[in-house]
Amino acid sequence: MTRHALDLTINGESHQLMIEPHWSLLHVLRGELGMTGTKENCLEAECGVCTVLLDGKAVNSCILLAEQCRGRSIVTIEGLGDPEHLHPLQAAFIKHGAVQCGYCIPGMIMTAKSFLDERRGHVPSEAEVREALSGTLCRCTGYQKIVDAVIAAARQRNSWPEEARRS
Amino acid sequence: MGFAFHRPETIDAAIGLGRQHGEAARFLAGGTDLIIQINRRRLAPQHLISLAGLGLDGISETPTEVVIGAMATHDAVVSWPGFQKELLALPQASAVIGGRQIRNIATVGGNIVNASPAADLVPVLLALDATVDLSGSTGSRSLPLDRFLVERGRTERRPDEILTTVRFAKPPAASATWFLKAGRRKAMEISVICVAVHLVQNGKARIAIGAAASRTVRVPEAEALVEKQGLSAFREAGQIAADKTTPIDDVRASARYRKLLVAKLVERALAACADRIERADP
Repeated sequence: MTRHALDLTINGESHQLMIEPHWSLLHVLRGELGMTGTKENCLEAECGVCTVLLDGKAVNSCILLAEQCRGRSIVTIEGLGDPEHLHPLQAAFIKHGAVQCGYCIPGMIMTAKSFLDERRGHVPSEAEVREALSGTLCRCTGYQKIVDAVIAAARQRNSWPEEARRS
Repeated sequence: MGFAFHRPETIDAAIGLGRQHGEAARFLAGGTDLIIQINRRRLAPQHLISLAGLGLDGISETPTEVVIGAMATHDAVVSWPGFQKELLALPQASAVIGGRQIRNIATVGGNIVNASPAADLVPVLLALDATVDLSGSTGSRSLPLDRFLVERGRTERRPDEILTTVRFAKPPAASATWFLKAGRRKAMEISVICVAVHLVQNGKARIAIGAAASRTVRVPEAEALVEKQGLSAFREAGQIAADKTTPIDDVRASARYRKLLVAKLVERALAACADRIERADP
């Protein structure tokens, strides 16, 4: 199949790509752009490790065609923060020891970010956080600390820097 | 694996592409099922025709009717303020489809056209006597959803037809809808049985059941009994529903267990509707 041009906006930057029509967004991120923060696992939208934000909403990049993202805004874990400027959710995950093997964590953080952005400052209950994260699996089963970290980050949302609140 | 991706700018252009490529093409809504089927090599369309950007993703209400665009996501259904009272079963069902990531992409139209007997929103729409609107190369037509659904994976839709909207009459104030789902876990689960009930005070009763037959079904005999006898017939209506449905044994549950669930969930959903009507009535 011949390739064709696709411009994608990822983490605020425009990327000019030549893609095949069946490529998933996940394949473009990892295979074409080397952005390996977004993880690959089940490839059937069951596990959530590939979660990114599409126009601010959490989506499974493994079953989303790159073509479906034309003209829309994508944010990956690389766009959230860096070691010198952690996103408050990243800082909360570290503080609460919410990371075991770490493989699910980028997806967890992107899922949590979209959830908290939608709630706009309302601190969610533990049940609400667990429901929100239900499409994102941790096989170390370290859920309690993950949930604690998300709630702690939500509580401090008013003191998040402006760019951390942007979706 | 390889297909051409088409992004038509109008509904007519999309229909034209559908007509041109016929069985070799598939319309793409959210793609949360279609892309997985392609990846598993169960489907190998040569053309994907995107339905994004055609203005089919809206939800609107008139004084008498609710119209949901086929491309509206389940997240949009969950968030729609007009669905919090008599139409609560709509967000109840959409809220348990996949996880958040799926609900942000998967569409109402996809849930209908895919024609899975276990589709969660379809029983609610059936219970609301919904109508589907189709546009194709020979024009537009509307069909009751109950007639549109044929069996697992099959509908009355022709290959060049697009499901554009699903609509239903606004229920009266003294009415309620309720949705119940049984799965093997609380989230990210395909229904073992799902049930939707629509009850109008001193009026009609609708009972629709998913994952209990080769398509989502209504149970007119149970509905008639409830319409005639009201509250006192809820348990018997559940039993009739269990008797009339034809679930299968599969990896998720046995047919026998599914029938037990049908009886109980129908009774509970009817009771929940009656309770809501009573509470809303001062």
